[in-house]
Amino acid sequence: METMVQLDNVSKKFDESYAVENVSLNIKSGEFLTLLGPSGCGKTTTLRMIAGFEKPTSGSIYINGKKMDNIEPYHREVNTVFQSYSLFPHMTVFDNIAFGLKMKKVKKEEIEERVNKVLKMVQLADFGKRKPKQLSGGQQQRVAIARAIVNNPSVLLLDEPLGALDLKLRKQMQLELKHLQQELNITFIYVTHDQEEALTMSDRIVVMNAGKIEQAGTPYEIYEKPQTRFVADFIGETNIIGGNVTEIKENYAALEFGSQEVYVPNNNYQTGEKMFISVRPEKIHLHTVQQEGKISLKGRVKEKVYIGSLVKWIIDVGNGNEVKVQQSASDVEDLALDTEVFVSWNPDNSVVLKQ
Amino acid sequence: MDRMIKNAYSMLSPSLIWLLLFLVIPVIYIGVISFTTNTGFGGILYEFSTEAYTAAFSSLYAKVLWQSLGWSLLATVLCLVIAYPFAYYIAHAGKWKNLLLLLVMVPFWTNLLIRLYAWIILLNNHGVINNLLMKLGIISEPLSLMYSPFAVIIGLVYGFLPFMILPIYASIEQLDRSYLEASEDLGASPVKTFLYVTLPLTFPGILAGIIITFVPAVSVFVVTDLLTGGKLLMVGNVIKDAFLIEMNWQLGSALSILLMVLVLLSIVIFMKFTSGKDRKFLI
Repeated sequence: METMVQLDNVSKKFDESYAVENVSLNIKSGEFLTLLGPSGCGKTTTLRMIAGFEKPTSGSIYINGKKMDNIEPYHREVNTVFQSYSLFPHMTVFDNIAFGLKMKKVKKEEIEERVNKVLKMVQLADFGKRKPKQLSGGQQQRVAIARAIVNNPSVLLLDEPLGALDLKLRKQMQLELKHLQQELNITFIYVTHDQEEALTMSDRIVVMNAGKIEQAGTPYEIYEKPQTRFVADFIGETNIIGGNVTEIKENYAALEFGSQEVYVPNNNYQTGEKMFISVRPEKIHLHTVQQEGKISLKGRVKEKVYIGSLVKWIIDVGNGNEVKVQQSASDVEDLALDTEVFVSWNPDNSVVLKQ
Repeated sequence: MDRMIKNAYSMLSPSLIWLLLFLVIPVIYIGVISFTTNTGFGGILYEFSTEAYTAAFSSLYAKVLWQSLGWSLLATVLCLVIAYPFAYYIAHAGKWKNLLLLLVMVPFWTNLLIRLYAWIILLNNHGVINNLLMKLGIISEPLSLMYSPFAVIIGLVYGFLPFMILPIYASIEQLDRSYLEASEDLGASPVKTFLYVTLPLTFPGILAGIIITFVPAVSVFVVTDLLTGGKLLMVGNVIKDAFLIEMNWQLGSALSILLMVLVLLSIVIFMKFTSGKDRKFLI
């Protein structure tokens, strides 16, 4: 697929500090790409640079192969769905959606037809004459999306568009947005700090931290194969275990973990080397008897949280170390607090992290 | 709910009593006087008469009334034209904002009367402007700037400009910048963004500015008194003279009531024309 948006070594400095630092990224045509990160990580600034509201301090942005250095926002083939919707309060829903087409001097009959079509698409066919204030949050959200997509943009930029909605509506809108994107085949660049939202919707996730890209990959890669400690920690829950390599046994390196040992697949590690690994709680098993496999850590039940379909355990494995375990509720016996247990996982399910 | 309304009234009561005593009752009193019979030298005979209104509608007073409305209208328009860019600039002036606002308000600390004397020094035949223009050789004889409608308009614009700047500034300041970004995002150039988004969304400020400039401007009398030496008249002068010099309270009251009705009427027409659906002319 061809590249739709290209960021070439883009940086943005506010005062003396970098909001975005040396970001390079190729976004393919028709891709649903999510910029994910905590607040202040530079994801919104990156989006605003693509929209043209901010000018990069250095580096260039290309849209459809065209360099955007001196192109004003109103000349770019992108449209934005704003976090606060920013629907014009003095215009009706119809006029809000028609605004972009009017600016492009599209014929009146065509405007009418296209606006009515998107109104139907976002299930607001009868709401054209209302003012934005007379709509619920979810309806305003749909108008904001309609106002952007009616222009047939090459790229749609979405800045935390679901942030103001309640959980249930948000889940529903996530799926609707995803369907809409597949239907229209528009490139979506979506900004969110909600990792679950990112995993649900995206073709590709770019995790950002402190103005830089930590990792870019499919939701599967980001979740299962986090490359850095930040990504492992930010996406979902995980156990991060750090320790020195004590010995190399066959194909595995042993890592000291308190007074016990865990193993990771060996990859030219040296004895004495300090390393960090991530193990997801759902990859870890809980037993009442010592296990035969490579890893079997002895511990005690410190905390148990029952959340319906799942049970979350915190196991104290000694020396102040804890291991989070998550199992489906039907799989586990009811263990009392302070019961002696053994936790185990397949070493191949742990991921070695870059610092 | 009932209790809330009761509470609201009890909290409002000081201002309601104030308004009743010093606004409503005097206005009713003026209205009553305007229909009484004049017995000369400020005498009031409580006998119904429309004499005062007949006089007020005579060509002389009617002309002054229209003239006052015309000048104030022109001054209001000029104030708007000057104030809008000014207010826009202040709202975007960053750290200078507070200083600029203070400068707008400084004139309020001095009486308009005193400030108008300054304009006499600037405008008169041997004044600063004429002297300067003559020294520069642009004119050979002094322009008679004083005693003209020009001087009246200058006085009005000067006196009431802050009333126009402040509400417009407030509305521009409150305008959410994301509306402007949304507009640009949808393909509107800065000029179109201004016309279709900024202007309509700051319209309440413009409306407030127009009303609080126009209303006091139409009834002011010190401007004509000082800058035309009483040669040109606004309705404020006529009302003042009717009460204080001619001692004809009926005529003064009738003119006041007429002025009030005219001002209210023009505001109502203006708001009707510019609010709600009809504001579409901006889009």
